[in-house]
Amino acid sequence: MGLGFSEMNTRIRRSLVANPLACSGCRTCETACALIKTGHIFPEMARLHIDRDPFEGGFVPNVCHQCSIPYCLNGCPVGAIGICEKNGVVNIDQKKCIGCGSCRKACPYEMIIFDEEQKKSFKCDLCGGNPLCVKVCPMHALGISYFGKKELQ
Amino acid sequence: MSNKFGGWAGRILRINVTDRSIQNIPTEPYSERFIGGLGIAAKIAWDEINPHIGAFDPENKLIFATGPLTGTLAIGSGRMEIVGKSPRTFPKEVVTRSGMGGYWGTEIKYAGYDAVILEGEAKEPLYIWIERDKVNFFDAHDIWGQDTFSTQKRLKEKHGPNTQVICIGPAGENKCRIATIMSETSFTSGKSGFGAVMGAKKVKAIAVLGKGGSISVAHSKRLINLFSYYRDLMGYNPMREWTVGYLPADYHFRFFKKYRTGNASCFGCPVQCFAFIKVPGLDPSQVHCVNYYYMRPAYNYYGETLEGDQAFWEGVVLCNKLGLCSFEMTGMVPWLKDLFVAGLIDDKSSGLPLSQYGSREFIVDLLNSIAFRKKIGDVLAEGAARAAKILPGAWPFYEKYYPAHGQAEHNSVRDFPGIALLWAFDSRDPMIDHHAYRHLSVSRQRWPNPHRVDIDKAQAISEKIFGSRLAIDHTTYAEKPRAVVYCQNRSAMMNSLVLCDWLYPMFISQSREDRMGDTAAESKFLSAVTGIEVSEEELDQIGERIWNLLRSVMVREGRTRKEDTVHDSYFRKNRIGRGEEDEVQFHTVITSDQTNPIPHQIFEEAKETYYRIRGWDEKTGFPRREKLITLGLNEIAEQLNPVD
Repeated sequence: MGLGFSEMNTRIRRSLVANPLACSGCRTCETACALIKTGHIFPEMARLHIDRDPFEGGFVPNVCHQCSIPYCLNGCPVGAIGICEKNGVVNIDQKKCIGCGSCRKACPYEMIIFDEEQKKSFKCDLCGGNPLCVKVCPMHALGISYFGKKELQ
Repeated sequence: MSNKFGGWAGRILRINVTDRSIQNIPTEPYSERFIGGLGIAAKIAWDEINPHIGAFDPENKLIFATGPLTGTLAIGSGRMEIVGKSPRTFPKEVVTRSGMGGYWGTEIKYAGYDAVILEGEAKEPLYIWIERDKVNFFDAHDIWGQDTFSTQKRLKEKHGPNTQVICIGPAGENKCRIATIMSETSFTSGKSGFGAVMGAKKVKAIAVLGKGGSISVAHSKRLINLFSYYRDLMGYNPMREWTVGYLPADYHFRFFKKYRTGNASCFGCPVQCFAFIKVPGLDPSQVHCVNYYYMRPAYNYYGETLEGDQAFWEGVVLCNKLGLCSFEMTGMVPWLKDLFVAGLIDDKSSGLPLSQYGSREFIVDLLNSIAFRKKIGDVLAEGAARAAKILPGAWPFYEKYYPAHGQAEHNSVRDFPGIALLWAFDSRDPMIDHHAYRHLSVSRQRWPNPHRVDIDKAQAISEKIFGSRLAIDHTTYAEKPRAVVYCQNRSAMMNSLVLCDWLYPMFISQSREDRMGDTAAESKFLSAVTGIEVSEEELDQIGERIWNLLRSVMVREGRTRKEDTVHDSYFRKNRIGRGEEDEVQFHTVITSDQTNPIPHQIFEEAKETYYRIRGWDEKTGFPRREKLITLGLNEIAEQLNPVD
């Protein structure tokens, strides 16, 4: 599955970007994400998280950066994590995932979600390239950025 | 109805602080007929709150209720309702409601509860800590006496940053009748003085963490589609730019430019009606319309200076920190000035720097003296209505700012017949949950383009919804009773779901050329979330049922047709001591003539029409027995024993 190391940044890649100055901390993105990923309002399982400091007005969306050299990918002992050739998103292959939590430990941004019931790890897959969170954000605090090789866009 | 379907958590938490016991009861027996929120809270109040007790008695209860849509992706679902015997309503303490936005209602749903019933009275100050199934009582001596900001920071430090807290400030502890329950900086349940009830029960705070909890949804894809559809239909709401302030408008915008850091909102809301403001030297806070009560006096005193901004902002933040109701201040502050000008109180007798009205010292001293019940503050803490009965000669000036129920004027009851009727039939300020009617009939016709709803378009909407263009015509009482019945039913239903009245009923679409909204939004959201297919008409009937239940609660407490009115002076032409420009009341500034009297005879006739449409007795205003039975309120009909 996916791209090899040498190809990682020579192909089109994309990731979520967040603007904490625009974010108002309303958690619509979390709710929508959890809803589309789990079918329920289950904010723990959302693939992005909002840190709220209501007393200082600091609202910070934490999103998966789809790192150019992904820590989670390198941390996975069974090679379940790869970069999708089509949309350049870092994906976890649920069939291969053994639920060991290594990726979660490896990710410095704490963006790997562990489902205790299924004993599997999940992460932001950008909804296949057209993320719902970006569509629902009332403050336009979320967006998509592209990186990697330009002409392949 | 609860667990099998999406939306509801399925149980209600009963907390007795006298013996520190808890009990879980199922939501289902309540939700079948009353959905949630206001509906189930009103039913619990009917069943459990004795009409003869006082608000501060240990037998009084506070019911914090969410609905099946709270905390879901339904637009504007960040709210909850609080019901209990209110210490603030005037002339009597009655059972009434008070809404609250923010994040606490959502968190309690995640924790697995549809509602919390708080009862009893603790011997020593305590706070309650709810973490899913675990409910603990902690000693609150170390936070008792602290303001709401530091209380919340303390609890978040102790229990984790995602903990949601509702708490009271010193005003609630000292049982000020105008005390609020606060969450974060400015999410407030203010209008019914429930902060004082929490204070009487010696409950400083209720902290909740719903970590790992979830709310099930029947049709998730449908809910997401509905969210997108109705957000687009609703269109861009310029509230997020304006977050309404006092005149002079250009000063207001310059203030924003200097100190605004962004927006804030309740859970999951696209409107974003709070601005977040940081003024140097003072605590930051989010702010919305009513908080601006001191902007104009401070502007007149200081001009446009940093001192002026700080004076005004101190008024905002101190209210939030002490847990005092800003809305009360919109009436009380100019009322005190009137009393001072008339020579009824002075600096010495009141202990307040009244001669420096508009200064920072004045507002700080006023708020502190109320919250800690010092000097004249001990009287004012009873609320302006009760204080006006105590202070000699104060009552005529009081009526200038307070139309009824001991609550400050919120939209001119003199100028808008529909709003006058809403005021008359309610137990508190009705405009807090009937904004939609005001938007259609007043506010949005005055918005600047491209946001304006032109009068002909508004009339077309009125024709479709109320069946007549006259329903939003402010020159006549014709068709108003029907519109008021519709709005009350919708409001009761909306408060049971619980959604925000700023958006529902969705009369207006800002994105469509003809501005025609869609009033079926609530029923579609409810169907998608719960999996129970409900039509708009069925929901309207549930709304009618809940409003009749609320009326029955009022009637049991002694409400009759005679009390369905506003104060006498509103039927007379002249107000006493016609105010300076800076005393013009909140939201009523939009009309030039403040002295239109309400035509008494026509007003009474409109009331009779209202009772007829409601199926209530025209002489007494009691719900008729057969009406209650038609609505499925058999046990209420039995117990109320109304005239036939």
